[in-house]
Amino acid sequence: MTIAPELSDQVVSELADAVGGQHVLTSKTARYNRARVPAPFPVHRWAERVPDLVVMPASTEEVAEVMRIANAHRIPVVPRDGGTGLTDGAVPERRGIIVDVKRMNDVKAIDTDNRTCTVGAGINMLKLNEVLAPYGLLYPDDPASYPCSLVGGRIGTSGWSLIGSRYGHSRDLVLSFSFVLPTGRVIRVGDGGGPKVSKSSTGYQLKHLFMGHQGTLGIATEATLKLIPKPEAELSPFWAFPDYDSAHQCVQKLAHAGVATFAGAVLFDEWKVDYLRRDDEAYIPQPADVRALVCAVAYGNADEVRAGGKRFMRIARDAGARYLGDEISQGDWAARHDRYATPLHGRTRAGQVVPMSWHCEDSAINWTDLPQVRLEWHRIADDLRRRFDMFDDWGIFAYTSAATGVDYLTEIDIGIWEQELDDESWTAWVQAKKDIAEVAVRHGGSISACHGACRDGEVDLVPVELGGAFDVMLDVKRAVDPNNIMNPGKYLLDRAYETEVE
Amino acid sequence: MTDVPPRQSPAPEEQAGGAADTGHNGGNGHSPVTVEFLSEWRNAAYNCYSSGHKFCREVCPVMQVTRNENHTPTAFHANVVAMEQGELTVEDVAEDYVNCTQCGACELRCPNTLFTGDFYRFRTRTVDLVKRMRALAVDNGVHQPGYQRWNELTDERSHEPVLGDTPVSQEHVRDWAGGLDIPIGGETVLFVDCEAAFYRTSLPRAVAQILRRAGYEFGLMTEQWCCGGPAAEMGYRDQARRFAEHNLADWRAAGVRRVLVLDPHDYITFTEDYPEFFGDDFDIEIVLVVELLAQLIAEGRLTPTVPIERTITYHDPCRLNKRKGVWQEPRQILGAIPGLTFHDVDRVTQWSYCSGAGAGLPIERPEIARKISENRMDEAAQLEVDTLVSACPWSERPLAEAGQDRAIDVVDIHELLAESLGIDVGGRTRA
Ligand SMILES: Cc1cc2nc3c(=O)[nH]c(=O)nc-3n(C[C@H](O)[C@H](O)[C@H](O)COP(=O)(O)OP(=O)(O)OC[C@H]3O[C@@H](n4cnc5c(N)ncnc54)[C@H](O)[C@@H]3O)c2cc1C
Ligand code: SF4
Ligand code: SF4
Repeated sequence: MTIAPELSDQVVSELADAVGGQHVLTSKTARYNRARVPAPFPVHRWAERVPDLVVMPASTEEVAEVMRIANAHRIPVVPRDGGTGLTDGAVPERRGIIVDVKRMNDVKAIDTDNRTCTVGAGINMLKLNEVLAPYGLLYPDDPASYPCSLVGGRIGTSGWSLIGSRYGHSRDLVLSFSFVLPTGRVIRVGDGGGPKVSKSSTGYQLKHLFMGHQGTLGIATEATLKLIPKPEAELSPFWAFPDYDSAHQCVQKLAHAGVATFAGAVLFDEWKVDYLRRDDEAYIPQPADVRALVCAVAYGNADEVRAGGKRFMRIARDAGARYLGDEISQGDWAARHDRYATPLHGRTRAGQVVPMSWHCEDSAINWTDLPQVRLEWHRIADDLRRRFDMFDDWGIFAYTSAATGVDYLTEIDIGIWEQELDDESWTAWVQAKKDIAEVAVRHGGSISACHGACRDGEVDLVPVELGGAFDVMLDVKRAVDPNNIMNPGKYLLDRAYETEVE
Repeated sequence: MTDVPPRQSPAPEEQAGGAADTGHNGGNGHSPVTVEFLSEWRNAAYNCYSSGHKFCREVCPVMQVTRNENHTPTAFHANVVAMEQGELTVEDVAEDYVNCTQCGACELRCPNTLFTGDFYRFRTRTVDLVKRMRALAVDNGVHQPGYQRWNELTDERSHEPVLGDTPVSQEHVRDWAGGLDIPIGGETVLFVDCEAAFYRTSLPRAVAQILRRAGYEFGLMTEQWCCGGPAAEMGYRDQARRFAEHNLADWRAAGVRRVLVLDPHDYITFTEDYPEFFGDDFDIEIVLVVELLAQLIAEGRLTPTVPIERTITYHDPCRLNKRKGVWQEPRQILGAIPGLTFHDVDRVTQWSYCSGAGAGLPIERPEIARKISENRMDEAAQLEVDTLVSACPWSERPLAEAGQDRAIDVVDIHELLAESLGIDVGGRTRA
């Protein structure tokens, strides 16, 4: 197991030679501000997560040099990009070096003929799309963190996109990338050898392996991305239902309809509607008999979106929905999508308003299991809230992950009053996360559809979910990262080295 | 129906964990002013910290250049939490806060402002936090050398040292008005900021002559000092207040009721800092010249007729667009000038633009400020314009420098209007 040695002056000067002295940050603020991400956090234990220093390289070669130094000295390395990841991936567990790739944010090439672009890993999608706009092109990786997450982090997490049911998720949209292995060796991984290939059968398909590993296998530095023509039109009708079950039926009918412009559908459960009524000022008030909501989203050419929209309206009407009108439909989608904001405050049991941090669960659940998973999750949240008056149940969203309705990203949002957290409540919270993950796995789903699953609590269930595949993960980890320098402590991967510890 | 009527919701300071409950800070070795600061900012800091989502990052002009997470609103708030937890001290954090032009973009992009703002009347106040933290540093004896020197010189000369080694002084503050015969005093006076009074004298000359053309009466101050805003922005609050007191006394002595302001920075100082210093006693009407000119044009009291053959874009000064929501009037003025070809960029896109000149950034971090100016002019260059029009004298010097390499002139909107009114402005821009 790697424990960060005190970083010697020797190491610091080697790093300064590699990236330039001004890009080696050792100040306390540099280190403390890279010790957390937006996920709830035991504030009183901040100091445990602080790295030894931060480097901000500007090129693949500089990253490679940093890796060689770290590997030679057996120093932990944690890649960090936007720092918006919700599973603490970019937070060091064993101090070491944070490799912050945000300076690598240039657009290196735009290929309008093959519709690709090549960018540095530190670029943001919104910013990239500003550059692509004059070409009529769009990079459609569109998470709710669209204005703040960055391409390298999308690779590190294998992210999920709100309009992925039509355009694909990060794994489909990133064609290839340069990747620095823990030894400092640089490889290009993609669908095949050529950087702009979207389907290949040559050799092992390594692209998936080097996405979503939370920085435990290496660092992506530059990526070639698939582009689409900027959609002419978008439509996002919202419908209300008197009960959850009819909304649940309706959302799947929409997904099953085979509409080509279908980009996703969202189901809001009763708890979510209650919460929005209570505390979300972006939410447009609905009569009390509204218990659940569904939204469908269509993107594409204007005529096709219009035709698909008519079909959605018919399906929803037949399923007993009440259309909420254009204004609410457009406004609510814009709010949820362009600047995703849970209100970030909640209430104590007595109804007092308090600033709360947001836990966003993100399991993948099959449509058939949604009703039951929802009840079990709410029971867990309710139990927590009863015992500690610092948690709040903000309800569940379920979003289609694919056009066929096979599985849904299922998100229970839980508010946590961080100012009040102590060891006891934190321990209870970690247990609750484990219980939530257990429900997902028991129902044949996956703990995480988008963020990854390496936080305390849920991570314990990863070997259960993956079974024999987890053992192969350990073998891969050991083969790629012989000294366990990459983001050590994450995903129980220390187990890969246990025999060597003695 | 919501079952919680919005206006009955508690204000943030009434929330649980508010200022009264000083929670965990318990001193932590901080000085008394720091402890007081922490209890005042604790909840606001947690409001951001608990979100931590960084929607503010990419719009920030400094962050676009440095890409350093220390320079984000997220960090600016988190540092307060870390101080409260006893992990960081004011000495640890002070220097990071120089990396901000106080442009206000991050507040507009913050979902907590956009949504929570209406409901709880809570607004993310990063600009204010940066100002307060700089002041806290000074109060604790932690100085940034550039700021300290700048404010010493300003204190000595009662004006900012905008001409470098060439001293500025009280005797010369009205030199720009040479030959214009503007009276001293009166109900309405024109306040001219240090940059315009000493460096870009063509600007106040343009304003004065346009107003005269419209038959709008005004005078000059008996003894004008710097508005004090820059000192407040850099943390020298006592000095800022002394300057404010001087200027207010000057206005009072002359019976001034109304102050015309041509510089957006002064406009912020007079509409935000002065009311804070003087409370309800501050009853002077503050009029922004760009707004006044747009009104005079609309009323037909000014009619620009000389065609100006330029292809322009307009730079929304941060303090007008982002901090004060003033973006229509400059466009109305430009719309009234014949001959212009106008490639406009909407005000929301311009949230992420900045000249780099604000809040003392060029004093402590000239290289970052320069890069911000270059980024701004790169945006302009893409529009294939020959001229960038601004409405802020502080932006015009650095943007003009960056414009040189791109063959783009930087012109002040007041001067442009004067030209179209057929006024030969006189004065100069000192090189
Ligand atoms: C408000 C909000 C909404 C969100 N909505 C969504 C959503 O809709 N869909 C979704 O998928 N996620 C969502 N997220 C989570 C988060 O934005 C994503 O996980 C995102 O992909 C993280 O990107 P980042 O640039 O912030 O990465 P970081 O947080 O910096 O890093 C994430 C992980 O990737 C690793 N990593 C970072 N850079 C690299 C690199 N160059 N090479 C290899 N590994 C690297 C890190 O070590 C870490 O383990 C949301 C988060 C927030 C705050
Ligand atoms: S300032 Fe606003 S957008 Fe930025 S991290 Fe804080 S809460 Fe989020
Ligand atoms: S005020 Fe402007 S410069 Fe300062 S942090 Fe906000 S966006 Fe950045």
